[in-house]
Amino acid sequence: MASIHLQNIEKKYGAFVGVQNMSLEIADEEFLVLLGPSGCGKTTTMRMIAGLEVPTDGQIVIGGEVVTDIDARDRDVAMVFQGYALYPNMSIYENIRFPLRMRGIPASEHDARIRRAADMVELGAYLDRKPGALSGGQRQRAALARAVVRQPQVFLMDEPLSNLDAKLRQSMRVQIKHMQRQLRVTTVYVTHDQIEAMTLADRIVIMNKGAIQQVGSPDEIYSDPANTFVAGFIGSPPMNLIDGVAQDGHFVAPGVSVACPAHVRGKVTLGVRPEDCSVGGESAQGMVYGVEPTGDVTYLTVLAGTKKIEVKAARAYRSDIDVPVGITFNPAHLYFFDDQGQRIRGAA
Amino acid sequence: MSRPDCSWATAKPYRSDPMGPDLSQVPAQGVAQAAPDRRGTLPRRRSPLLRKAFPYLLLAPAMVYLLAITLYPGLFAIYQSLFVVKFLTWTWTGFGNYSAILQDREFWAALGNTALIGAISLSLQTAIALALAYFAYRDPLIRGWRIVFLMPMLFMPSAVAFIWKLAFNDGRVISDLLGRLGLIEGNLDWLGSIWLARLTLIVADVWQWTPFLFIIFVAALQGQDQEIEEAARLDGASWPAIFWNVSLPMMRPVIVVAVTLRGIDITTMFTNVYVMTQGSPGGATETMSYFIYRQGFRMFNFGYASAASVLMLILTVVIAQTVVKRAFHSGKQ
Ligand SMILES: Nc1ncnc2c1ncn2[C@@H]1O[C@H](COP(=O)(O)OP(=O)(O)OP(=O)(O)O)[C@@H](O)[C@H]1O
Ligand SMILES: [Mg+2]
Repeated sequence: MASIHLQNIEKKYGAFVGVQNMSLEIADEEFLVLLGPSGCGKTTTMRMIAGLEVPTDGQIVIGGEVVTDIDARDRDVAMVFQGYALYPNMSIYENIRFPLRMRGIPASEHDARIRRAADMVELGAYLDRKPGALSGGQRQRAALARAVVRQPQVFLMDEPLSNLDAKLRQSMRVQIKHMQRQLRVTTVYVTHDQIEAMTLADRIVIMNKGAIQQVGSPDEIYSDPANTFVAGFIGSPPMNLIDGVAQDGHFVAPGVSVACPAHVRGKVTLGVRPEDCSVGGESAQGMVYGVEPTGDVTYLTVLAGTKKIEVKAARAYRSDIDVPVGITFNPAHLYFFDDQGQRIRGAA
Repeated sequence: MSRPDCSWATAKPYRSDPMGPDLSQVPAQGVAQAAPDRRGTLPRRRSPLLRKAFPYLLLAPAMVYLLAITLYPGLFAIYQSLFVVKFLTWTWTGFGNYSAILQDREFWAALGNTALIGAISLSLQTAIALALAYFAYRDPLIRGWRIVFLMPMLFMPSAVAFIWKLAFNDGRVISDLLGRLGLIEGNLDWLGSIWLARLTLIVADVWQWTPFLFIIFVAALQGQDQEIEEAARLDGASWPAIFWNVSLPMMRPVIVVAVTLRGIDITTMFTNVYVMTQGSPGGATETMSYFIYRQGFRMFNFGYASAASVLMLILTVVIAQTVVKRAFHSGKQ
């Protein structure tokens, strides 16, 4: 039950910058998700909050207390490691019990708490086994149970669901969210999975190459991306990004021609989400490149000039390839980015 | 070697080549060179028998050497143990030597001494090595300075034994040091008391072999998954608690192997006894190896000595086997 402030955190490994100048305010009881490609510094950020890594520069404040120089042990933070980090010599029961023992929680409470945590992750039947005798997904759940068995100030979860099948992942997702709301523990959660990020997060932090790209609610991240990286990273399939030239309120690229605000000028990138495209019309002209029915929608890929544009078409839409097709972009949902990839906003 | 189907004269292209017809356009040399490459230029003519025997042939010199210096003397000892040997006269006695040994009080005393001195020495060096490893393994300097810790092991055992002999008995260095610290008055007669004499052997062995265990334990600790230690830290464990609950159990197989190796070595402890105490006072420091030596080379009961060493070998193998098996078995569950 604590807020977390990262103040200009930086982590360097020799000359390599793992995390650069990161400032972030995480509110008490907030569920914050770190999202970004592999190697962008998510785990490093977590480890600095946990106290396992000392920032090269900057300050970390947890619950109003500067903890930068406080040992990991005394920060009262629970973490689920990407590599599980279970104790191989102990049974799952003893694994989950370890933090209770070490934190001096009365032995009479242990059993009930352990069983509650194990049931939450559906691991009740495996308590007597050693970690070596569990599958990857079961180990991951054991690690999760070990983290939630006590009530820490902060939960840190590093891709805790990455090894589970789709069904279990969905049910665990709901469970984690429910538990977090119930325990009211500030949570930082790392994932690669956009759906996980969108469904769990109060706010999402998008990172790339050690730097924050955008911080916002799932809605903001989705409908108001700050730059081309965020736009291209979020959504599945992600936003179409089309390089072209804007002049006198008109954007032109090979096979594409749409109206744009007058202040958008020069070399720009047009962004449009697949669901804001519809079949038929004049915004873009091209050839059908591929049709992918998925059941509830059909994804259509159109080759306009040299650019492939993804379109979310009606469920029943079918077409042969190499047939000419026109696309309309919803003019209310066009995004423009400058040649640095930054969003061009308003009539500034 | 004749290769009729790819000689110059053959105008036909190589038969298994799918591009056959086109090859008639290629100059003849081209075909002739290309064909053997395609089949592999090295003909494999080694007989199946030779191919199977080949690895053994490669190993043969080493095996012969090893067998000559270990198996032959071993077999010879077993054979000799069935005789009463007085120089060149061998008299068959069957298990006579063995039954005599089992009733020999000196044999049992030597066995007891070996077990006692060995157990104390081994426990001490294991405990010291573990303690040092616990304090040292996180230190990056230790990696670079490992070799320093190996120094005592690198000295010649007999030289080490003489140094200790000087320090304890002849040179009275230890007595002098203890005297200056005000711990004792005058000079201690290290060979005059059973326990002091045993202590000198223990100190010498611990000094020389603790580094061996230390190096192995440090390596084992450094090889452990660091995330597990970090997880324990976040779970609220202190460093000693982490070591006791997490690191030490994970080191168990390594500890067992290292201690077993050391144990085998200690049961055959000879040099220090030979140089420093010669079994005195009154046989209180006579180990098995020294007993065997005394029987064989002082009293020339070669058959008797052989029988003792065979018993010793059996005992060592059985103990080592049980310890290792049990440790690894329970470690797997
Ligand atoms: N100890 C280290 N020494 C040098 N570089 C490191 C070290 N630890 C991490 N890095 C580098 O820092 C960057 C960020 O690593 P980090 O583990 O935070 O990535 P991540 O975002 O968690 O990736 P993933 O999603 O694959 O887990 C990587 O490029 C990595 O190579
Ligand atoms: Mg990571």
